[in-house]
Amino acid sequence: MSPAPKKSQPASDVILEVKDLVQRYNGRAVLNGLNFKVRQGETFVIMGGSGCGKTTLLRILIGAQKPTSGSVHLFGEDITQASPQELDRIRLRFGMNFQFGALFQSMTVGENIALPLLEHSQVDPSLIEMIVKMKLELVGLTGFENFKPSELSGGMRKRVGLARALALDPELLFSDEPTSGLDPVMTAVVDQLTLDSTRKIGVTAVVVSHDMTSCFRIATHMLMLGNGPRQGEIIAEGTPEEIRANPDPFLQQFVRGEADGPIAFRLSQDDYLKHLLQEG
Amino acid sequence: MKFSFETLLNAGGSRLTYGLLNLRILGWILYGFTKPGILVPSQILAQIIRIGVQAIPMASLVSLSVGFILAMQSSTELGKMGADSFIPDLVSLSLMRELGPLLVAIIVVGRSGSAVAAELGTMKVNEEIEALRVMAIDPIRYLVVPRFIALMIMLPCMTILGTCIGLVGGWAVCTIELGMPSSFYIIRSMQRPELWDLYSGIIKTAVFAHILITIACYQGLNVEGGAEGVGRATTSAVVYSILWIIIADAILTGLFFFAL
Repeated sequence: MSPAPKKSQPASDVILEVKDLVQRYNGRAVLNGLNFKVRQGETFVIMGGSGCGKTTLLRILIGAQKPTSGSVHLFGEDITQASPQELDRIRLRFGMNFQFGALFQSMTVGENIALPLLEHSQVDPSLIEMIVKMKLELVGLTGFENFKPSELSGGMRKRVGLARALALDPELLFSDEPTSGLDPVMTAVVDQLTLDSTRKIGVTAVVVSHDMTSCFRIATHMLMLGNGPRQGEIIAEGTPEEIRANPDPFLQQFVRGEADGPIAFRLSQDDYLKHLLQEG
Repeated sequence: MKFSFETLLNAGGSRLTYGLLNLRILGWILYGFTKPGILVPSQILAQIIRIGVQAIPMASLVSLSVGFILAMQSSTELGKMGADSFIPDLVSLSLMRELGPLLVAIIVVGRSGSAVAAELGTMKVNEEIEALRVMAIDPIRYLVVPRFIALMIMLPCMTILGTCIGLVGGWAVCTIELGMPSSFYIIRSMQRPELWDLYSGIIKTAVFAHILITIACYQGLNVEGGAEGVGRATTSAVVYSILWIIIADAILTGLFFFAL
């Protein structure tokens, strides 16, 4: 039997606290001693380049994966030590919006949103129908409850995923790349929905993204994960203004979206010649 | 150590071996009998229709053909010895003891076992299984258990139906081709088999249903990689199901008709 989760006494407004989090794959550290806190009401954006460990971090935060070491305190309970029953109880307090929606293809949009309500609430079916309509209205998809996910566009699917994640009125919303693959208008629509969720409904949001425009539009607090030589480290953390003003070259290259800089994805001409000579 | 359903339902933690899958299915079914709302009749009914009822036409056609084949093949050999009257005995015994359960199970493997493995595999690839877990819904309870119960109910029913249809195939050959009176065929095919012949076939069918659905679900839930992984899982589900069904058939036949 798993030991009971350690109850910590974090500051009252801290919803999520990550301590000394390490994740290794075959000895290689993907996440290397991360420490951060998410406070109630924040829109906390985790950004970083491809392969920096954003998705791994998100999987650990939702309890889908156990870290190599360290702890994740969600609502004051360490989910890395929680038993499956305890984890399920904690999971009812947060929602997860998957990158591609992860909608059940065999169900209609309405059934997708109603599923968590049917499974975890004692609400009358007629009331569930009404809640589904309200959630669809919230994401701007009124009248789509009888559509199948395959009949929707990518942006609509993401919005249905958000509606499903908000079905049980969670205190915390995790969102994985909510705007990837969307056109600028749809990106703005999804960003506005995330803002509405936090400002109007009072949900705390943890968003993983590499879309800089979107990040700066929605974030109240930002965290940048490094890759390459700084793999798995926190390069910078702060408010959007602090991030913009941070002189770290890794961060600035990423924020400006420049090809040349300390984040090497290709060899410079000199390095390439050296590389060839070494091989020769 | 005190027994609790939670221990059984979460046996093995995040690992999912074939043995653990069986343990968890058992755990959820037992838990379902003690707590309302765990086993949802509408979900089981939906699976009965999808993996059982919709496979009936194909299983019936195969059973009818097997009835024809058995009667025709036996008539050529038994006819030479003037033992035509034993054809109904042979058809009914073969269908009840062996061919009915085996062929219906193989048809259901091909049609429903592969569909279950591909469906669960695609759900795994599309993060739908992960989404269920994050919504605090156990995928084994929600996806596997209704399919398991549906097939455990439907496969014996389909086998009994298939045996009856196979007997009709044998009757058609015996009466139309061999000129045997209908009453003679019916009496012989009903008198010769004992009740145990029918029961042994049904017990075999229950074992086949268990093998079929657990292998299909196990392969589907363990898909790695994209479309290629789903394809591999579907092939493995069909191949391993048929392999283990035939091995189980050999063992059960030995037990029922030689050891007991």
